[in-house]
Amino acid sequence: MPRTGNKSKRDIILVSVILLFSLALMTLNVKQEKGVRFLDSIVGEILSPFQNYFSQNLQSVSDSLNHYFFLIDVARQNDELQLEVQRLKSEKNQLIERLATQKRLSKLMTYEENWEEKAVVASVIGRDATQWSKVVVINKGMKNGIKEHLAVVTDAGVIGQVIYAGLHTSKVLLIVDGRSAVDALFQDSRISGVVVGMGEDECRLKFVPNTADVKVGDPVLSSGLGGIFPKGLIIGKVTQVLRKKQGLFQEITLIPSSDLLRLEEVLVLLP
Amino acid sequence: MYYFSQALIAIFLFSAQTTWLKLFSFGGVTPDLILIWVVYCGVRCSRTGGIGAGIFLGLIQDGLSGGVLGMNTLSKGLSAYFFSKLKGKFYVEGVIPIGIFLILASVFDGLVFYFSMGTILKGEVASSFLYQLLPVYSIYNALLGPFLFLVLDKIYRWLELKTSNSYLGMTR
Repeated sequence: MPRTGNKSKRDIILVSVILLFSLALMTLNVKQEKGVRFLDSIVGEILSPFQNYFSQNLQSVSDSLNHYFFLIDVARQNDELQLEVQRLKSEKNQLIERLATQKRLSKLMTYEENWEEKAVVASVIGRDATQWSKVVVINKGMKNGIKEHLAVVTDAGVIGQVIYAGLHTSKVLLIVDGRSAVDALFQDSRISGVVVGMGEDECRLKFVPNTADVKVGDPVLSSGLGGIFPKGLIIGKVTQVLRKKQGLFQEITLIPSSDLLRLEEVLVLLP
Repeated sequence: MYYFSQALIAIFLFSAQTTWLKLFSFGGVTPDLILIWVVYCGVRCSRTGGIGAGIFLGLIQDGLSGGVLGMNTLSKGLSAYFFSKLKGKFYVEGVIPIGIFLILASVFDGLVFYFSMGTILKGEVASSFLYQLLPVYSIYNALLGPFLFLVLDKIYRWLELKTSNSYLGMTR
């Protein structure tokens, strides 16, 4: 009997320790944002070389695998030829990959040239370690002039903002994350609203009056309000409009103009 | 040797989680390798070791995610605690028990996020989260879990063999 008592006491202590420790971390994090970011920087700095390595090889590995499985039936009778074809395919993939990277970079560079202010080109080296947050890690940090709350874009449009800048890496909160909000307006009607993430692939455009004429396919731009995103950057296009009979605002669904699942190079707009 | 290999497993799993795993996303959902490892530690390690691993891995995951620090520490720490407690009461071998444990852990992990998002982060969560995203996430973890359990079992058994060999070598 006393043993059971000791056990349950120990259980209560263990659960209390876990709860208190986590709640203390959460409170510290919410109260003073910079004070507890040392963990992000330590973990980020340790893991970023590995993330860099893995993400650099990711595309060529997946392409090679696809080609390998494709060729396995065709070249059953000729192993040497298969190996040769594989080697050439792998080389070709690498070259195609390089060419694609060059194309993407030149697009970004053209965008950067047209951009009046300074910008930094960065590569996406990792994604959020959990399923829930929509965050990507880029390979540029404070050493490259990156700070928190800077806009991040691709040639296709807005993708998010920097929420943490480490020495060599930074975290970018994507516009589809539930905590993201971007002040926006319609390109044609100039009616404004707020683009909020829902933690899925699409966003919601809030606070657009029921009387506003909104159609599927209407482009939505950043309004410049809020001080993070410059005015006129494309955010996305309307995919669904729901007008409720009761209520002041429409329910508008928006698809981001950038493919947020296949981000590779991005542009961080410096102030 | 033991801690070094643990660090290597951690680096591999965290790197895979943040890079490769997007290739296997299903409807935007990817499995959580860290959650599976935490449940593994809870079930296979000693009680204190399992809980310690849960808190430590949760803390690292917090550092690598854009959420609030402490969210994963809480969910992973408590998951490790519950499963280290449950392991003596249930038979945890084979695909089905492991799968059920992982479904429970995934649902708990998702609910911690859901309530943190509503209370601390004050963010938006899609209405489909509870009936679409969370079930897919849980099932995905449950399907991948037994395989990762098997791989981890093999690694730990190999490590045990290696460390016992080096121990024998030392005593000789």
